[in-house]
Amino acid sequence: MKKTTPNILIIGGGVAGMAAAQTFADQNVAVHLMEKESALGGHAAMWACMATDTCENCGACLSIEMADQIGKQKNIILHLNTIVETINKEKQGYEVVLENKETFRVKKIIMATGFSPFNPGQINSLHYDEYKNVITSAELNAILREERLSGYFNGKPDPKIAFIQCVGSRNREQGRDFCSQVCCKISMRHANKLTHLYPESDITLFHMDLQVIGKEVRPLFNTLSKNIALVQGVPAEILEDNQTNMLTIVAEDKLTQARVSKAFDLIVLSVGMQPAQTLEATAGMLDLKPNSWGFFNTDQAVLSKDVIIAGCANGPKDILSSKQDGRVAAAKVIEDLGLNTKKELNIAVFGQSVQADQTAMVISSKGYSTYLFGPGTSLSKDAPVTILDESNIISVSGTAGNFSLYYESGNEKKYLACAAIIAAFEPKQSLNRLDSLTNASLSLDAFSQMIEKTPDTCPGNSVILLDYFGPEFKSFARLALEISIKAKALGKNISIIMNKMLVHGALGQRLYDTARQQGVDFFRFETSEDLKFENSGTGFLIKLKEATLPSIELNLNCDCLVLPPSLTPAAGFKDAAALLRQPLDSEGFLQSANIRHRLTRSPRKGIFFAGTCHDETDQDDLNDEINDILSGFSTESFDLPEIDTGVEINQKKCAQCLTCIRVCPHAAIVMNEKNRPQIVPDSCFSCHLCVSSCPAYAIESKTLTNDQIAQKIEKDKVTILACERSAALAAGSLTLPDNITLISIPCACRISSDVILKALLNGASKVIVTGCHEENCRSLEGSNVADASVRQVLSIPGMDASKVVWEPVAANETKKFERIISKV
Amino acid sequence: MNTATINKTSALYKMLNQFELGDNISECLTCGACNSRCTWFDGEGGPLPRQIIRMAALGLDEQLVNSNMLWDCLLCNRCTQGCPMGISMDKVVRKARSLAIADDNIPKDIKIGIKNRIELGDVNALTKEEFVETVEWVSEEFVDEVDDPNAQIPHDIKGTKLLYLPNPRELGINLLHLTAMAKLFYATKETWTLSAHHTDVTNWGYFVGKDDIAKKMVLMVVEPAEELGVETLVLSECGHGYHALKYLLEDIIGRKPGFEVISMPELIVRYAKKGILKFDPEVHPYKIAYHDPCNIARKSGGYDAPRELLSMVCKGVVELIPNREDGVCCGGGGGILQDSTSKNKRMITGKPKADQMKATGLPNLATACLSCHRQLSELSNHYKLGIKVDTVASLASESLII
Repeated sequence: MKKTTPNILIIGGGVAGMAAAQTFADQNVAVHLMEKESALGGHAAMWACMATDTCENCGACLSIEMADQIGKQKNIILHLNTIVETINKEKQGYEVVLENKETFRVKKIIMATGFSPFNPGQINSLHYDEYKNVITSAELNAILREERLSGYFNGKPDPKIAFIQCVGSRNREQGRDFCSQVCCKISMRHANKLTHLYPESDITLFHMDLQVIGKEVRPLFNTLSKNIALVQGVPAEILEDNQTNMLTIVAEDKLTQARVSKAFDLIVLSVGMQPAQTLEATAGMLDLKPNSWGFFNTDQAVLSKDVIIAGCANGPKDILSSKQDGRVAAAKVIEDLGLNTKKELNIAVFGQSVQADQTAMVISSKGYSTYLFGPGTSLSKDAPVTILDESNIISVSGTAGNFSLYYESGNEKKYLACAAIIAAFEPKQSLNRLDSLTNASLSLDAFSQMIEKTPDTCPGNSVILLDYFGPEFKSFARLALEISIKAKALGKNISIIMNKMLVHGALGQRLYDTARQQGVDFFRFETSEDLKFENSGTGFLIKLKEATLPSIELNLNCDCLVLPPSLTPAAGFKDAAALLRQPLDSEGFLQSANIRHRLTRSPRKGIFFAGTCHDETDQDDLNDEINDILSGFSTESFDLPEIDTGVEINQKKCAQCLTCIRVCPHAAIVMNEKNRPQIVPDSCFSCHLCVSSCPAYAIESKTLTNDQIAQKIEKDKVTILACERSAALAAGSLTLPDNITLISIPCACRISSDVILKALLNGASKVIVTGCHEENCRSLEGSNVADASVRQVLSIPGMDASKVVWEPVAANETKKFERIISKV
Repeated sequence: MNTATINKTSALYKMLNQFELGDNISECLTCGACNSRCTWFDGEGGPLPRQIIRMAALGLDEQLVNSNMLWDCLLCNRCTQGCPMGISMDKVVRKARSLAIADDNIPKDIKIGIKNRIELGDVNALTKEEFVETVEWVSEEFVDEVDDPNAQIPHDIKGTKLLYLPNPRELGINLLHLTAMAKLFYATKETWTLSAHHTDVTNWGYFVGKDDIAKKMVLMVVEPAEELGVETLVLSECGHGYHALKYLLEDIIGRKPGFEVISMPELIVRYAKKGILKFDPEVHPYKIAYHDPCNIARKSGGYDAPRELLSMVCKGVVELIPNREDGVCCGGGGGILQDSTSKNKRMITGKPKADQMKATGLPNLATACLSCHRQLSELSNHYKLGIKVDTVASLASESLII
């Protein structure tokens, strides 16, 4: 049912465009979605799955699934294989003529034209156009996706592989003085994948400042730093050795203090992002002007109120951020056009941080009744937020739109009904100090206050030490840059000692360039061993083995040593996670790294995360997160008519053991007033984990009972049980051979050992269970359940081990799927 | 391990880290790109480009001067080609060489050459009388060379269209080259002259980085040429001479000169395009490799004229890999060739070039700089490459149809 005739056009069917389109579709708002290629998905759909033993959280597979979902929406009018020919501004809105001559009028346009990878052919010295084994990271993605990497190694089991970062990024002379933000992550995932594909490979990753940012990247970095060589300094020239045909790079060898030649079988250029080639023409038709980089991510760009920019046209972004950006853009259009049915909602914000205060204030300003559970909040009593700062939450029950918070206030116990909960707790911030020193160092925060408020008291010589107490959080690196520029303007000497400069964000590189230009000194160290600290009068003497000058020990004297704090999960995070029934990530921060729900959402509908409690966030990120969450309130209706979950509880069989309530990954099963478990359709994702877990067989699937599945089994054929979000999508474009029966299931959670045994009993010659990689399952447990069920079947005495296998296959692993079925 | 303290009042720091003015090497991103592009490649010894920049950026003057890297650097600027912050190694190293504390490191031959040039007007101390004697003697021979009884090699004539500024070697051990050039001037049918004030295209002040000396040497060319009232100053094939007298000229003297400056190959191409000079490529019936002199190519953008000319006088040009802005130094740049004690080192610095030459598989190679020419010929002998090395203009002279 269309709510409107379409008066919105989305230009670009990549991740951002698709996310926007889906957001409209969820609200029954009809839109035009235009894509120049013949299929939706954008660059992300061309990328390879980065999973090794587990999902590496890149999100590329999402684009396949999103494209699949969009194809099923009646409210989205697709225009594939075409571009905009003309756009005429009219009194209200635009008249759009596509190249295929379709013409329509729209009021709003979302411009999601995406990016183009930098073409390294422009840099002659890399010989990208000449040497076959010099490839870009985009090409490596295609090569991995198509499983043809071995063609580059001449059968060698131990190839030498180099990654070169920042090709086409961070170069002021070339007019690209920005960090492309995603390339370090991509290369780290690539390198990690290669260490698994070629365990004997020898991999070197040359980087300028490895951008180790974010909850999914820090653990990856820890693994990689043990398995590959991470070398600071990016080579600018590749040559081919005439005799060996190996690619060679000359680099400084720190040990011997000489230039040495290193040979590689394959060199991957980690290319930066440029605006899409179509951006300029499209922007011209809309009277928009991008900034000097060609993006719309700085004030220099000229915008229009009827055109919303989304995704990488707004500057380099990863897949999850593009998705978020698309969703936020759609929400803005919905609001501008008055298409949202604004509801009276109570929103609860948990957390005592500045970020929680800010979140609550913004939510409240949008007209939602906001309740802040935050002891020690700095909001004043007359803020338009109900502050429950003395309260202690005892339990959270219910589901999205209908949560019930049970809390203690003073000696009273109370209930609060709310539609959604935003977790914005504060992580533990511990001040760092150097034990060997008796002179007091200053915290970064105190130093910043000093520069801002009492600049007269700022000492003449200060040193800010980054990365020393573990990987720096990006917001501290940014603050260090900003504050050092200010200190310099006051005529103070200031140095930053670092392992790497995190130049994230649109203007990070410019800020770093400015700091150096103003005379802030930067020093690098490799390991903490390279630094020694001594008291010197009232100040400090730092003895530094500088990474770029390994033969000299530098003595740095300073009056003031500034140390950023360390951020770690707060003691209360475990309890908070238990309260919200949400997993922690591997470091103990809130929210799992699972990309199905990131950046701000969770498997439990109505539970959101904002700020540093779940990931590194600076002010820009937090604003984006709050907007994303708000888009959830205005577009993700909490009171939709009941949907059919395909699952029901047979109360006669139910033994009230509560297993279902305990296992439901979405907390969608609640106790009803008769004290019986009840599935709440709005919060159910139809994963069927309850069906396969119920010991009393009391939870029944309407279409996927064991018997119904068994009926689909064909005798003497291989049965593939495939998750509809991953393996079934990977198989989508293939014509399957006759000896294979593919049964699509909503989630691998459904695969109990019963299902597998039934299939074998019904004559399946083999059962292949396929689904998402571990940690990629939307319902979290799918791969574990399927794997465990397969093992259970295999443990039956006499069972032929070749009869049952578990193979994780992501939506973008068509080639892998092909390989698996080619073996049967 | 050496210890050092950063010194923001050091002489070098003050010269190179002028925060308002650009050319600010504190801007170094420490990206390390330069480390991969030193023209010594993986040869033994030699400079570590990023360390040079870092020492200079931190005011570690003494460490830099004592590192030997300053005179190992060939000023080829290959390392900083494509520096994301636009830093130029050539500028940094020359500034560092100009430090008073670096004076002892200046090769003895270069000190003598500079003294000769400043005091006597010629790097080899050629006197005006010797110049006149030499030119007039060569001029007599020239009549036979072009088979024209009225032909001559003119000198010190005012108001000619062209003035030729030779390499000092052309008035010494390489007189034949001067005759060959004279033949080309003769064929242009333009008025031209040599001059007793113009015996030396070189500028060793540039090598030692001392701006005052470099400027003085440039003015020693510019002012007498203006006095002669010539239209065009034609430079002999010389890399750093071209860079100083053409590319940097206005920067050095702070004004426009009263004449145009072009190189010999550029002059020849110009007259060939007018149809005045004609060549017979059958004189050199082979393909020839071309070596880009760093000072002419990468440092001054002079890529095309020598190639155009070679394609007229031979059967085509074969590129060395890499070439043009990525071209490899012959190994004799930055003043090392002018140091008579440097032969062994030059065979190391020139090894990458020798490998490149060998990889062409060709027996012929040309270049547009007499210094490169000498170094390349020595490399060919030392590494037994059997490659004959010529200058572009001399090949043109051989092919010239009169």
